[in-house]
Amino acid sequence: MSMLNKRKVYDITMQSLTYLSSIVSIVVLLAIVFFVFQKGYRLISWDLITHNYQSVTYTADLKEDQESGTFISTKTFDDGSFYSTKWGIAIKDDENLIGGTSVFITYVHPDSPLNALNNKGVGIEDLSVDVDYQIIRVAFDGASSALAIHGAEHMIEVWDSQDSFRELEFSTTGGGIRGSIITTLYLIVLTLIFALPIGVGAAIYLTEYAKNNRFTRFLRQMIETLTGIPSIIYGLMGLAVFVPLTIRLTDATGANIISGALTLTVILLPVIIRTTEESLKVVPDDYRYASLALGASQTQTTFKVVLPNATAGILTATLLAIGRIIGESAALVFAIGTAVKDDIRLTEKSTSLAVHIWSMMTDEPANIELSSTIALIILAIVLVLNISIKLLSKRMLRKQGVKK
Amino acid sequence: MQHVEIPVIKQHKEKRIKDRFVKIILLSFTLLSSSFIFIVAGTILVKGVTPFITNNNGLGSVSFIPFLTGDTWLIGESFHSNLYSIGFIIASTLMIALLSLVVSFPIGVLTALFIAKVAPKKLANILRTVIELLASIPSIIYGLFGAGIILNLVYNFSAAIGYQSKGGNSMLASILVLAIMTIPTITSISEVAIRSVDKNLEEGSLALGASKTQTHFKVVLFAAKSGIFTSAILGIGRALGEATAVSLVAGGRRSGYSFDLLDTTSTLTTIMLEGMKETIGLDYDIRFSVGIVLIVVIILTNIILNFVKRKVGNVNVK
Amino acid sequence: MNDSIVFNVKNLNLFYGEKQALKNIEIPIYKNQITALIGPSGCGKSTFLRALNRMNDLIDECHLDGKINYYDQDIYDQTMDVIGLRTHVGMVFQKPNPFPMSIFDNIAYGPRCQGIKDKQKLKEIVDEALKQAALYDEVKDRLKESALSLSGGQQQRLCIARTIAMKPDVILMDEPTSALDPVATLKIEDLVVELKKNYTIIIVTHNMQQAARIADKTAFFLMGELIEYGDTSTLFSTPQYKKTEDYITGRFG
Repeated sequence: MSMLNKRKVYDITMQSLTYLSSIVSIVVLLAIVFFVFQKGYRLISWDLITHNYQSVTYTADLKEDQESGTFISTKTFDDGSFYSTKWGIAIKDDENLIGGTSVFITYVHPDSPLNALNNKGVGIEDLSVDVDYQIIRVAFDGASSALAIHGAEHMIEVWDSQDSFRELEFSTTGGGIRGSIITTLYLIVLTLIFALPIGVGAAIYLTEYAKNNRFTRFLRQMIETLTGIPSIIYGLMGLAVFVPLTIRLTDATGANIISGALTLTVILLPVIIRTTEESLKVVPDDYRYASLALGASQTQTTFKVVLPNATAGILTATLLAIGRIIGESAALVFAIGTAVKDDIRLTEKSTSLAVHIWSMMTDEPANIELSSTIALIILAIVLVLNISIKLLSKRMLRKQGVKK
Repeated sequence: MQHVEIPVIKQHKEKRIKDRFVKIILLSFTLLSSSFIFIVAGTILVKGVTPFITNNNGLGSVSFIPFLTGDTWLIGESFHSNLYSIGFIIASTLMIALLSLVVSFPIGVLTALFIAKVAPKKLANILRTVIELLASIPSIIYGLFGAGIILNLVYNFSAAIGYQSKGGNSMLASILVLAIMTIPTITSISEVAIRSVDKNLEEGSLALGASKTQTHFKVVLFAAKSGIFTSAILGIGRALGEATAVSLVAGGRRSGYSFDLLDTTSTLTTIMLEGMKETIGLDYDIRFSVGIVLIVVIILTNIILNFVKRKVGNVNVK
Repeated sequence: MNDSIVFNVKNLNLFYGEKQALKNIEIPIYKNQITALIGPSGCGKSTFLRALNRMNDLIDECHLDGKINYYDQDIYDQTMDVIGLRTHVGMVFQKPNPFPMSIFDNIAYGPRCQGIKDKQKLKEIVDEALKQAALYDEVKDRLKESALSLSGGQQQRLCIARTIAMKPDVILMDEPTSALDPVATLKIEDLVVELKKNYTIIIVTHNMQQAARIADKTAFFLMGELIEYGDTSTLFSTPQYKKTEDYITGRFG
């Protein structure tokens, strides 16, 4: 009888362990999603995607044809804003990103002269103010300057009493990820331009042209080995090979998007080749024979008959590649750099979305909120990609069923 | 006799030339793809060996053994010293990877067992999707999660046992982050191995009066040993190579051997990521040397584990 | 009557690596006749057929010596243009293998590969080929539909139409009806007999009755050797060799 009990105890213990272990994965997934969502959702807005990361400070004055007037607004400002009818602008005091208070613009009347400003400094000539910009000071000829530290109410009072102002110093909102998004898009397009032809081409050669001998096996083996290398090593290689290469061939002076794309190409080649090869192998030999027997050349057979039937596989490879590009961080830290830029050029450093997260998290202080928001965006994209790949695979399987 | 027209067979010279041309282009793409492994290995080797065999612009060459065994990343100022060493980092890297496997392996394998054998179909599919989703999450997000939640957990935990930890940055945090990153790999590969176990073995065991659970643990898992072991090898490979995620929770330790779980730490990958200021000189080249060590560590671990795998496999065959 | 010879095969020995698949084959194939190749499975008849349009080239370990003359040219000579050869010598396979394209595109494939782009011309070619393959009436209203929507017998006739669209001289058929039902089989047999007016046909068949029904000449292969070759009626009624007689009377095979 005690043997049975012993076994029962064993059974129950092992079963509990099994159940517990399985729960771990679910808990972890939920925890990650929950955490990222909770910290990040607040910052999600269209502005986030379109704004620059760095805020820029400008000094401006009115354009010659602009002057103050009467801008009645029927809006009620119940959030503590103060409105100037003379200038058509509403401002309020609020907390800024580093914990102090600044004066923020909450509303600009569409006819307000503040929409047409002249940049007193260098750079773009035409400026305008917008909601969420911060006003630092307004200088007048007939009164002492209104500074942000004196508060919004004071600023409106002084401003309303003046018919003109000498200069307006304000700063645009930062914290947007437009730069990183553009970089990521550039990366995806550029990498695919390099990687797809080479990868698909190699897969075609290996499946359709290569003889099954030791040399071919060797070539395949060398491509397979690439998959086991940690991505940071690729980053080092990119730094040592592609960065100098691009410096020499273009006007780049350091790591840049092109070198990043080249590095990613090397990382993605095995995946693209393997996936494409699999979908090429599935195309029945019957088609190849029929085509050749009709007097088509090998090239015609490959490109008119075999390849079109493998498009689903190539599409899958592309989606997998895009997913990998978006998620890659370690290699890009070396190959593109970690400087978050707003003005994106192919020959300069910048950050992809993933590297942007890393850059912010290794800053002092770490910006967990914005990082989580970016993480949320990345997760959403990855989710969509995964679902698409699943659907594609299902379609591929179904197609094969019909044929056989 | 009939007059017979002998057909003239047209020469498709252009097509043949095109065929050859296309074949050469495709071949060159293949050769290019195969050559990258050599380019990667070559670059790392050449640049990584430089600190040991050159004068490093007057700083003197780095001595190899002290490099491998020393306990301080850099004694002296960068650009003025050649006293780099990573001994303590190698130790902590191995320790972190192994311990993370200790955590992720049982959880991963049991989850695989659950999905493959225990769970009802619907639940199994849900769980499988969960694992796939976890596998597709980019590593930087795991790092973010680590920095956000796991650091807090470790900090509170260490405070509870009376230890002052540096905001939670510690070996323990690194281990935990790597563990949850590795679980999907282990689970998915083990699940395939478990599912391919011959049903006859299972039925034989049950027919002998063993319970389902006993069958699972004593027969099925044992039979799937080889695949499960492979998953562990891949898992530890991933753990050794992970960089950005760990860098956010490790703490960036610069010196001193330490086996204290709650101490800050560095791994071979995180030290490579830190504060690179120039693109020439010793400070730059030394990272490639660390890269060589990393690759060697990975290869060695693979060889050792494969050796163990074969030995364990043999026992079964007999 | 002196029928002209389309293929003249002399001393053909074919090897797959070390294994010899065809031994010393000598056989003339006559124009506008149906020549049937019969024999038990593995006897080399399909291998021989594929040598005639050099489809064996696709198999790495396959090599041969001897001569296969297509009219006055040795088709294994260095100067032979294989692509060109295949436009003269077409092939229909055992399992119908239409491309996953429309019926029209299937038949237009060959001509398009040869550079014919004119839509009108292509339509003429397709219609002509379908009519010759006795398929036109059945599909004339659905040329744009997928070829895979046709029945097995129709697909095979489509493959024949596809081959005919190239206006070949010879049509090689490798057991074209073995995957089809009896009704479809008879339809194809009737078609083949019609086709011989304009084409030379060499047909491999495992079905002796089929050979007896439609072939003018029959060749009996056994273990890579050509045992007997002659007029079908003679071969079946009064075979010269015992092995032939044994096979025909069903003692083996």
